[in-house]
Formats: sequence, structure tokens, C-alpha cells
Amino acid sequence: MANTAAAAHFVGQFDSIPPQRRLAGRLLIALGSIGFVLIVLLQAFDAAGIVRIGFTNWRPTLYAYGGWAVLLCVGLVLARGQRGWRALFILPAALFTIAVAIFPTIFGLSIAFTDWNLASLSGQKFNGIDNLVQAFHDPFYINALLNMVYYVCAVLVEYAIAFCLALLLNADIRGRKFWRVTFLLPFMLSPVAVSWMVGKSMLETRFGPIPRLVRWLGVQTPSFFGDPIWAKLWIEAMNAWVSIPFVMILLLAGLQALPKEVQEAARVDGASAWQSFWQVTFPLMLPVSVTAIIIRTIFQLKLADIVITVTAGGPGGATDTVSSFIYRVYSDRSNVGYGTMLAMIYLVIIIVFVTLVLNFVGRRMQRMT
Amino acid sequence: MRVEHYNRLLGMMASRRSVLKGAAGAASLAALASSGALGTASSAFAADMSADELALRKQILQIPGVGKGQPGDAEWQKVGEMVLGPTKANVKQGEFAGVELTFMGLNNQGQHNFLYRGFLKPWETYTGATTKWIDLAQADYNARLQQAVATGTVDFDVIEMGAPFEGDVCGKGLTSEMPDWVKTQLDMDDIVAYLQPPVGTWNGKQYRVTVDGDTHNFNYRTDVFADADLAKAWDSYSDDKKGLTKWGVPTTWQQVQAVTKFLKGQKFQGNDVYGYLDAPKPWGGFGFYFLGSRATAYAKYPGDKAFLFDEDMKPLVNNPAWVRAIQDVLDALPFEPADQINADPNTTGFSQFLAGTGSMIPWWGDIGSNAKTSDSSVIGDTVGFSILPGSDDVYNRKTGKWETLSSGPNFAPNCAYLGWGVYVMARVDGDAKKQKAAWSAAAHLGGKDLALWTAAYPSGFQVYRNSQHNIDEWVSAGYDKDFITSYLDSQFNSYNHPNAAVEPRIPGIFQYYSAAEDILANTFAGKMKAQEGADAIAAAWDKLTDQLGRDSQIKLYRAALGMT
Repeated sequence: MANTAAAAHFVGQFDSIPPQRRLAGRLLIALGSIGFVLIVLLQAFDAAGIVRIGFTNWRPTLYAYGGWAVLLCVGLVLARGQRGWRALFILPAALFTIAVAIFPTIFGLSIAFTDWNLASLSGQKFNGIDNLVQAFHDPFYINALLNMVYYVCAVLVEYAIAFCLALLLNADIRGRKFWRVTFLLPFMLSPVAVSWMVGKSMLETRFGPIPRLVRWLGVQTPSFFGDPIWAKLWIEAMNAWVSIPFVMILLLAGLQALPKEVQEAARVDGASAWQSFWQVTFPLMLPVSVTAIIIRTIFQLKLADIVITVTAGGPGGATDTVSSFIYRVYSDRSNVGYGTMLAMIYLVIIIVFVTLVLNFVGRRMQRMT
Repeated sequence: MRVEHYNRLLGMMASRRSVLKGAAGAASLAALASSGALGTASSAFAADMSADELALRKQILQIPGVGKGQPGDAEWQKVGEMVLGPTKANVKQGEFAGVELTFMGLNNQGQHNFLYRGFLKPWETYTGATTKWIDLAQADYNARLQQAVATGTVDFDVIEMGAPFEGDVCGKGLTSEMPDWVKTQLDMDDIVAYLQPPVGTWNGKQYRVTVDGDTHNFNYRTDVFADADLAKAWDSYSDDKKGLTKWGVPTTWQQVQAVTKFLKGQKFQGNDVYGYLDAPKPWGGFGFYFLGSRATAYAKYPGDKAFLFDEDMKPLVNNPAWVRAIQDVLDALPFEPADQINADPNTTGFSQFLAGTGSMIPWWGDIGSNAKTSDSSVIGDTVGFSILPGSDDVYNRKTGKWETLSSGPNFAPNCAYLGWGVYVMARVDGDAKKQKAAWSAAAHLGGKDLALWTAAYPSGFQVYRNSQHNIDEWVSAGYDKDFITSYLDSQFNSYNHPNAAVEPRIPGIFQYYSAAEDILANTFAGKMKAQEGADAIAAAWDKLTDQLGRDSQIKLYRAALGMT
């Protein structure tokens, strides 16, 4: 009781802020805000050609934002005392997030609704929902979106393989540490390096070791990326080789954290190895599995590097991904407005998809427990 | 040189260079080309050089010497040191002390900027300037440049850039105008006719230091086309030979198709042998040139400069000529190596042809300069060169009919890309010392003697000066006379051809090519018929023209065609 009273007195001491200090704090915030808004307006008017100040870039606005953020933090501490200090735990992070995530997204949206080709002499022009309409009539974009369904489904196969490997590495096998490191190696490799090592060297139809083996087995003209189905499979195989270790290591961590008693109890009760896995280990691993699948799916939705390097989306768009298509629209065609709209649409699709999956899984898991 | 050729040439010339620059000269040279005189005609330029200069050039070509391994940084620096003479004549030692230049260029296959670092090292030591480098992969180049231009964030003083981008950069006033002393140092008259102004200029001002000449030539395997067993098999081949009665190098696209079909399943030296290699996989827009090389003989009618668009920028890519070229690829692909649909030009040139697969490809001159000097080449001397094949008939877009010319097959070399140049950015103009330093560096890289070396060894650059057509110089470097004569003739005869297809320098040209590549990839994969694909490309090009500004595009396009 005495401690609580002391604490209240302590807080009260901090909250009894002299009016002058409170005023100074508010003035600081007001000055910072006015200065920031003023500089933003001046830059905007300068950019629009309404006034001639001669800004060469937008750095003054950035610096003004930084200065305003500092004054805001200091002002809050002065004006609100301990409540101001408490705000500092989250405020810098929030301001940083606004600067590097929220503002760019809003800025990106403003670009997405413009006709902006970098080579156009007339520059950026607002074009309403034209880009949106074009996107839904663009056969290349639709094709890439449909391909993503295949790539996302492939995550389940990757998960199954990763689970098997994780079980293997969790077992009491000889050289377990060595195998753990070895199995992780592909994850440490750059996908671009893998594209060249595997896609453009080992699978090279003339001198690659795999075509040689296939020829030795009787297939005279092996083709790995000439047929749409095979091309899709090989791209996913390379992608899986790089990515499975990541899923595997998450699952392995989950397996190692499982309570041993439950599994031992199952064995004592006479459960077979399969029953022990399917009815005990697998359900217990579901939270980790869902996390691993969701993270892996998000990565998979951004697949581009292997596709760009090995097939450039071919043959005939069979391996194209949304990211590799946006890359071409933006990089090769400098079509910034349309490319940004494609990325924004994709962002919305990903957010909706992941939210639906999480809700679905959440409900299922609640029902199971 | 044959005396009759020499006399005939002199009789036609007011001066050697004026003839090379003029259309009449080009026509006469083309006529001479067939008789083999052209290769020796340009060697007359050697007469313009002093004995010291000739000795220096001979010495340069010995570094390291053809067949003595691929040159590296030590050789590049040595060559850079040896060609410093013109710089020393215009710049005092240490004159640029304290100046730092930023140079943006390519790093393709360890060439371009890598060589420039070596070449500029002695220049830096002499002048006192330093250089900061921005290296870009080919695929990243367009985006990086366009972003810098569009956002006003040009962060480089000197750039290696192709003429097709001049509309995007020079047209926006971002480049520095070439001073007269640089023009003198560079000996601009020596540059081949098709790279003379308007190329390198904008609104009449000279901006470009040419460092490269570009055309697609036709590269073929001499051993394959001299093989007795294949000749015997060809004699007994019952399909239509399209006029190639005896086994030999095809000279028309019709023959290329016939030979490609014939070679499928044949053996050469115990291995599978293939004919023509298409490059159907997109390559950042550059892959479209390879369809262009198949199409120009069909689409480029003599006397008519337009082959991509008509005078009002209406795409010609879906006319019967281009559709035939697309259909040719579709017809040939089943007879090409497995996975050919996944081959981009880099693959066909360096992973396939130089490594021994395929017997015919179009490419820039890199094939010739790498065949004997690159460590990755296995074909060595067994490669021959000519201008691109012709066509038995040509499409006349004005009459809408195919025509057979009385002069024989129609030839139309595809002068793809117009070569690399070095440009100084306008941002240095405010600082006289820096401006001179930037132009001096550019002039050093565009020097006449350095040009000889870069064309002779792997560098990413080909011949672009008439003075580089002196066969004796190349032979003294270690090149086989027949090989180098064939190579240089294929280059110069393409540049100087009266019906050469020269692409328009309009903003966003690579966007047109890139859009076409995506649609072509679908067409080659069988998702669309040739005409459907061509129509889709035409629609995409029209849309792009509207986006870029139809009126300004038409104006610039007409200027590129020489129309006012």
C-alpha cells in the first residue's frame, strides 16, 4: 500500500508541469509543424511552377520532416511530462514507419493513377482508372496471376518435403549437425547464382551434366525449358531447392520445442510411428506449420529472380510471375504509372489472400483446440 | 590490291572520304563489294598516316597479339598509355588535378567499363583527374538511364550510350556540345558514313564521341559449309533447295530456311549439326533486332527508308514482310537445337555459336572479334562472314505487293543499334576545367588508334572508322588474311550498303522493341499465329506512340528519316 502511494506521488511529481514549460513545449511543436508545412507548401508551389524558389530536389522536405519529428518529440516531453516520455517509446518508430512505408505507399498510389512513361516528353499525367482497366484486360498480367496460383500451390509440396527433412534431422541420426548445415547450404545461395549454376549450366542442353545423363538414358534431345509444363516444373524445382531449407529450419525449431512427454506417452500407449506422427506431432506442429507456410507463400508471391534469369517468363509466358512481368513493364518499358498500378493491385491481392488464409486457419485451429 | 579495282575506285572518287560519306559512294562501294574490291579500297587510308603513326598502330595490335590469350587489365593500361599522344597535344600534364569525373557505362561480359578503366588509367596519371565508375548490366541500363533523365537526377558526368537513346537524352538538353578541339582530335571524317551526322547530333549540334559501329552481319561455319559428306547429302536432298544447287553458304533467307531444315539430323565430325540459330527469348528489347535481321530483306524496299513505321508512325510490323519473317522463325524452330525457344542472343552468340553449336547466326561484330581472341571460343578460324542474307523477293509497302527485283535478291543489312558512343553531360558545362577534363576523357576513348585495338580484341566494340579497314594491319596482328577480309567486308559492306536498314532515333525505341519481344515470345511458343502476333505488336506500338506523344514522335521520326 505504501509502495503504491509512493509510486502515485512519483508520477504526480512528474505530471505537475510548470505552465511555462508546458507552453514552451506547445510552442516548439507548433513552430516545428508550421515550419514543416511551410517548406512542404513552398516545395509544392515551386514544383508546380507557382513560385520560383529554385529547389533542385525534395531533400528540404525530408530534412524538414526530420526536424519536425525531433521538435515534436522534444515538445511532447516538455508539454506532457511523463506522458510525453511514454509517447517516445512508440513515436519515433511510428514517424519512421510513416516515412518509409506509409508515405511511399500513398505516393505510389498517386503514381498508379497516372500515365507516366519515363521516355514521354510530356511527363506524368493523371489518367484516372485507365491503368486499372488496362490491367484487367492485359493478357500478360492475367497469365502471370494465374501462374502464381501454381507457384503458391507448390508451396504445399515444398512444405511436405521440408517436413520430411526436418523429421529426419530431428531424429537421432549419425552426423546430425553436419547434415543440418549441409541441408541449409542452398538457402545461403543467391537465387541468381542458382539460376546460372543449375538453370543455365547443369541443364544446358548441349554440355550440361543432366542432359548428358538424360541422353544416356535414351532421350535424344532433352529439353528442359522448351515445353511449358517442364519449364514450370524446373523453375519451381530450382526455387524449391533454394527455399525448402528455410521452411525446414522453421519446422525443425518447432519439432525441437515439442514436449517430449506427449510423444513418449503416445508411444507408451502403443501408438505406431505413423499414428504418433499424424495424431500427435503433426497437430502439435500446426501453429509452426501455418507460420512457415504463410511466410513462404509471401516469399513465393514475390518470385522473380530465377524466372528473369533462366526463362524471362517463357516459353510463351508459361513461367512468368507477376513480379517478373512488372519488372519488364517498369525496367524495359519505363512504364512507371502502369507498372506501379500492377504492383498496387498485386499488393491488394496479397493482403486479401493472406488475411483470408489467416482467418481460415485461425478458425480451423480454434475448432481443433 | 588489284590495279583495275584501284583505278576504277579512283576514277569514281572526288576524294576517298567524300565518296565514303555520300550515297553515291555507298552505291559504288556496294557494287564493288561483290567483286571483293571493297576490302582493299579502304586500306588506302593508310596513306594518310605518318610512318610513326603506322608503326604505333602496328605496335598496339601486338598487345598481346592474336592467339596469345585474352587481354586483361595490364594490356588495357598499356594500350591506354600508348595512345595518349593526342591527349598530350591538347592537355598539359596535371591540368585536371583535383577533378573527379563520374562515368556510367556497361559491364557486359567483363568488357566496356572494365576496359575503359584500364584505358583511362594512364590518362588519369597524366592529367591528374580521377574517375568514379557506375557499372551497369545491359538489362539494367535502360531503366537506370530513363530514371535519371525523367527524375532530373543525372549523377554522372560522362556516359556510354547508344545512338537510339539520343532522343531521350540529347533531345532534352542534358548533354554537352562537343568543342571544336575535340572534333579535331577525333578526326571525325574518318568515321563511317552511316554514323556521320545526323547520328550523334541533335538540332544540328554534335554531342557524340563514336566508339563503336553496329550492324548485324551473317556469321557462318566455313568447315560445315565445306564438308564433303554434307555436300553429298545435299546433292541427294530432295526437298526444295531454294536455288542453292551446290552445298555452300546460303545467300538468301529462303536458302537459310532450306539449309536449316536439311541439317536437322545430319552429323558433322560425328556430332549433331544445326543450321540457323534463332534467339526467341526476350533480351531487354535487344532481342527484337534479331527478328529485324530476318525481316529487313523482306521489308526494306530499295529507296524507301521506312521499314518499322510508315511516315505517320503507323507500324509496319504487321505487314506481309514482317509476318513472313515471324513465320520463318516458327518454321525454323523445330529444326534448331532443343530448348532453342529459351535462347536469347547472348546464348546464341556466346554459349552456342562460339562454343560450336549451330552453323549460322546473325550478330553484331563481336562474333568475329571473339572467335579467335576469346578464351571461351572453340571455333577459331572456322568462321566466315558476310552481310545478312537477302531475299528472292521484297515487299513494296506502297504497292502492297511482293516484287522480284531485276538486280537479283534484295539485300538490306540491319544496322542494329548504331553503335555505342561516349557523351559528356551538360552538368559539367558550369565548370570549365571539369568540362575540358570530361571531353578529354571522351576523346581519349574515341581515339583513332584505340579504335583499331578495341575492334581487334574482345571489348564489346566493333569497327566504326574507315581507317580500320586496312587488312594489312590486322594481318600483322596475327589475323588470317581470308578471315579478317571476310569479317571486315561484312562489317563495312553492311555500313555502306545503299539499302541498309537504319533504325530511327526516337525516344522510347527500346520500349517498342521490348513490347514486341513479349508478344513474339508468345507467338514463338505457339500461342498465336504469326499474323495475330504481328497485329498485337502493331496495336501495342500504336498505344505506346500515343502514350509517348504521337505528334512529337512523328516529328522526330520524320527527322530521322530525313523528311522535313
